[in-house]
Amino acid sequence: SSGINAEYGREAFNMQRSLDKGQLMDGLRHATEMLNELRTSILPPKNYYELYMMVTMELTHLNMYMSAEFIKENKIADLYELVQHAGNILPRLYLLITVGVVYIRSEECSRKDILQDLVEMCRGVQHPLRGLFLRNFLLTSTRDVLPDDETQASDGGTIEDSINFILLNFSEMNKLWVRMQHQGHSRDRTKREQERLELKLLVGTNLERLSRLEGVTVDKYEKQILPAVLKQLVNCKDSIAQEYLMDCIIQVFPDEFHLRTLENTFLDTCCHPQSQVNVRNIIISIIGRLSNFAQADPANIPDDIKLFDIFSVKVTQIIQSRSDMPPEDILALQSALIKLALNVYPSETGYVNQVLQDTLSIFQKEESRAKGCSGELSKLLRVPVDHYQDILVVLQLDAYPKLFSFLELGTRRDLCVYIAEHVIETDTLIYSHEQVDMLWSMLECLVAGGPDDTTVDPEDFECEQALVGRLVHQMTSTVPDQQFLILSTCKKHLTAGGDRRIQYTLPSLIFRAIHLCRVYHELREEDEKWEKKVTKILQYINSLLSSLVKAEFWDLSLRLYLQAALVCDTMGISNAETVGYEFMSQAFAIYEEEVSDSKAQLIAISLIVATFEQTRNFSEENHEPLRSQCFRAGSKLLKKPDQCRAVGLCSHLYWSGRNREGEGEPLRNSTKVLECLKKAVRISNQCMEPTVQVQLFVELLNKYVYFLCNGCEEVSESVLSQLIGKIQEDMPGLESGEITRQIVKHFESTLGFVTHRQLLST
Amino acid sequence: MVSWLGYGNSAQISIELDDEETRTKVPVFTDEDSKESHCLFYDGESVIGKVDIKLKQEGKKLEHQGIRIEFLGLIEIYYDRGNHYEFVKLDKDLARPGILSESCSFPFEFLKVVKQYETYSGRNVRLRYFLKVTISRRLVDIIHEKSIAVHQLSSYPETNSPLKMEVGIEDCLHIEFEYNRSKYHLNDVIVGKIYFILVRIKIKHMELSIIKRETTGSGPNTYNENEQISRFEIMDGAPVRGESIPIRLFLSAYDLSPTMKDVNKKFSVRYYLNLVLVDEEDRRYFKQQEVTLWRKSPTSLKPENRGVAALENMRT
Repeated sequence: SSGINAEYGREAFNMQRSLDKGQLMDGLRHATEMLNELRTSILPPKNYYELYMMVTMELTHLNMYMSAEFIKENKIADLYELVQHAGNILPRLYLLITVGVVYIRSEECSRKDILQDLVEMCRGVQHPLRGLFLRNFLLTSTRDVLPDDETQASDGGTIEDSINFILLNFSEMNKLWVRMQHQGHSRDRTKREQERLELKLLVGTNLERLSRLEGVTVDKYEKQILPAVLKQLVNCKDSIAQEYLMDCIIQVFPDEFHLRTLENTFLDTCCHPQSQVNVRNIIISIIGRLSNFAQADPANIPDDIKLFDIFSVKVTQIIQSRSDMPPEDILALQSALIKLALNVYPSETGYVNQVLQDTLSIFQKEESRAKGCSGELSKLLRVPVDHYQDILVVLQLDAYPKLFSFLELGTRRDLCVYIAEHVIETDTLIYSHEQVDMLWSMLECLVAGGPDDTTVDPEDFECEQALVGRLVHQMTSTVPDQQFLILSTCKKHLTAGGDRRIQYTLPSLIFRAIHLCRVYHELREEDEKWEKKVTKILQYINSLLSSLVKAEFWDLSLRLYLQAALVCDTMGISNAETVGYEFMSQAFAIYEEEVSDSKAQLIAISLIVATFEQTRNFSEENHEPLRSQCFRAGSKLLKKPDQCRAVGLCSHLYWSGRNREGEGEPLRNSTKVLECLKKAVRISNQCMEPTVQVQLFVELLNKYVYFLCNGCEEVSESVLSQLIGKIQEDMPGLESGEITRQIVKHFESTLGFVTHRQLLST
Repeated sequence: MVSWLGYGNSAQISIELDDEETRTKVPVFTDEDSKESHCLFYDGESVIGKVDIKLKQEGKKLEHQGIRIEFLGLIEIYYDRGNHYEFVKLDKDLARPGILSESCSFPFEFLKVVKQYETYSGRNVRLRYFLKVTISRRLVDIIHEKSIAVHQLSSYPETNSPLKMEVGIEDCLHIEFEYNRSKYHLNDVIVGKIYFILVRIKIKHMELSIIKRETTGSGPNTYNENEQISRFEIMDGAPVRGESIPIRLFLSAYDLSPTMKDVNKKFSVRYYLNLVLVDEEDRRYFKQQEVTLWRKSPTSLKPENRGVAALENMRT
């Protein structure tokens, strides 16, 4: 292309030199030669554009020369004829435009006639690329001379002339632009489309110029400009043009214009069956535009324009009329509608629901239209959650959960997790059982079991269920009776989740129930039915626990039985003992029948003993068998060290354990305490492992010290010294190591305490 | 013009027309590329002036058999040299036989001369008017000629309908063209449009040319000479069905004569508009239409806004 540039440069130079000498005819001849370079067919649009820019830059010299020389001599009309003698059409028209603008400025001839003449004569160039640039030159050259005022004198032209001029130029340019698509080989299609996109601004400039005419009122826009532009768009049947130019209209004209023409003109065109325009982007664009406009100031939208209704109706029409519209487009449109409703009418949840309902109807009517759009649908469904920041509002949208069934399982699960997390993060409290019911129904795929459960990654499954458990804590009402209803509703949903789920979900419910018991207990003065209600809750707890037992979560149910027993003990209701005893005995039953691992057994019995030690309200009638049961169970453990520790632990039951008869006073049965401790010492003597034996001795020493300090008279100094002596004797024989070091440390601390409290006379 | 034959002679003749300074001059091709400027006359105008005879050597006498001046209208056909057809011949004696002893001048006048044809200079034929002064001598005459130009004016034709026609090649190309008139004066503008009804060929460009056909002779000895006067591109690129392409061609840009039919039964000059479409394989599709050219009185030329010629016929 450097050769071409050289040619153009030489002619441009010659033209200027001739003009400098005042030789117009030579100047025109060189200008024609220079313009002949634009007749090339070999340049791609980018390079042609560069050449065009350079050449038209040179034409400004010619323009200036003629403006200076000819207007004063009144010869411009002759010149206008003279340049038309050129044999080649392209240079001829470039020159004609150049002179024409000077002619208009001279005011010798009707501005309207010249403008009309120029835009008509340009029809002679039918080559798309050359024609587009020629007409662009026409448009930019006449930029400053277009009449733009109603009141202008008739020979100066009116705004109508400008509008007609630009509209004609626009439609001719669009035709040329569209025609590019159909030229050349089909294999170059991509390249051709790329080239077309590079040229789109040339066409769009017409619309931009129209929008900048002061005289273009909303009336003219509605009655004249928009219909003409849209007619051109519909008729051209070219999707690239339709999409770009629709967007161009949206961007260049003011919002007020769009508002006025929205319903009857603009959207109708989008609905037009002949327009193959990608309505999705266009509608989204105009919704976005008007929604920003409304957000800037609600007064911008006149009362009589129901923005949402207009869009809603049209979008539905468009979707219905285009059976081939891909689901993602449908959802993108609905999503835009939702955003409009949310931004412009934040208080009208009905609008959002309507969009959801419409979407639902579309999918229900023709399920195939929902295929493969899980991602988009899920995005759509997240919008209300994110916007309202309140799940309670989302729950009001009755169409919302119905759409879940059109999501693929994985996506549905993700969305449910998203919603659950959202509720927890925003700390939203769900305070009525109806809402709870709706929420659990919505999150069904997390809560209810299904055949697909096994396909879920176990780790994910655990996280999800933990989330469900946490969600239970958001379901809180300050009204206890309501809270009970909530719990019942939760139970209904969560127990349906199957064995794999309840271990994660039921504990939350049980703790919520326990909490509610306490609430009623605190309100016992005000609510005379409180006992009955607590009993009911305890039954509720028991039934949940039965489910866990049935599902064989032994360890968990054992702990929860103990927890329940403790609560029961503090309630002070008439049947507390019966129920408490039941819970305790259930725990024992699990311990005895289901806990087989020795380590687990020790832990379990320790828990049972510790729990039992905390109770206050068992009568001796029940207290005694439970005590003995603990002792018996402890001494029956398999391993000696375990036996020793369990039996040692049981000693506390006889010391600080309380029954109802004692009315809060501990048993303080020294004999039994010593009996236990002696038995423990005896068992530890049977230990074969010296390290463990010494360890047990030290632990038992601590027990003795504890009871001594707490006033147990039966513990004598001699027992203490005897034990200390025994430990000191065995200690040096132990293998050195970390455990031994710990034992020594423990022993030394104990001795330190003994010395400090002066428990030994020596 | 000085005849070289007379140059060696002792007298030099020149003809001066009365209003030579002020009279309109027009360029006339005397040869392929030499141009002369001739005084312009119209039919019926008198040709008045004087003949100056200047003796080479003052004092040397010139004996002659009489001096006369002729006004001649001549058609010359180049390939038929020697055969000149005089259609006008007027003569006047300026002096009886005698002796010229000093330079002198003779006034002459041809009143209201009929000049029924227009001056023309073509490939094969020429029509000219001239004044011829002859000093008759015993051995060699002294001769001097002076050409004048004649324009034949016509009035606005009574019927001047547009030329409109649909042409095409079946299933390939179908167009309708329209020129606003069938008769144009020489400074006229051809305005028209081409409407494309069917386009199935890849057109590269379209041009409108003017062809001049000069016919000489008659019967079996007829000679036609076609000459393309203009090449005027009116469309660049390939149109699609429904496009309408404007035409505006200024005839003043070209050197044209009026249409001449059967001038003195010797020759004709006719003009044709040739619409040519060229496709991408450089095949040419064309259609010729005869148009009549006429000369309009110069006083009524130059209407307003000739540049923006009437567009009414072009709009669809």
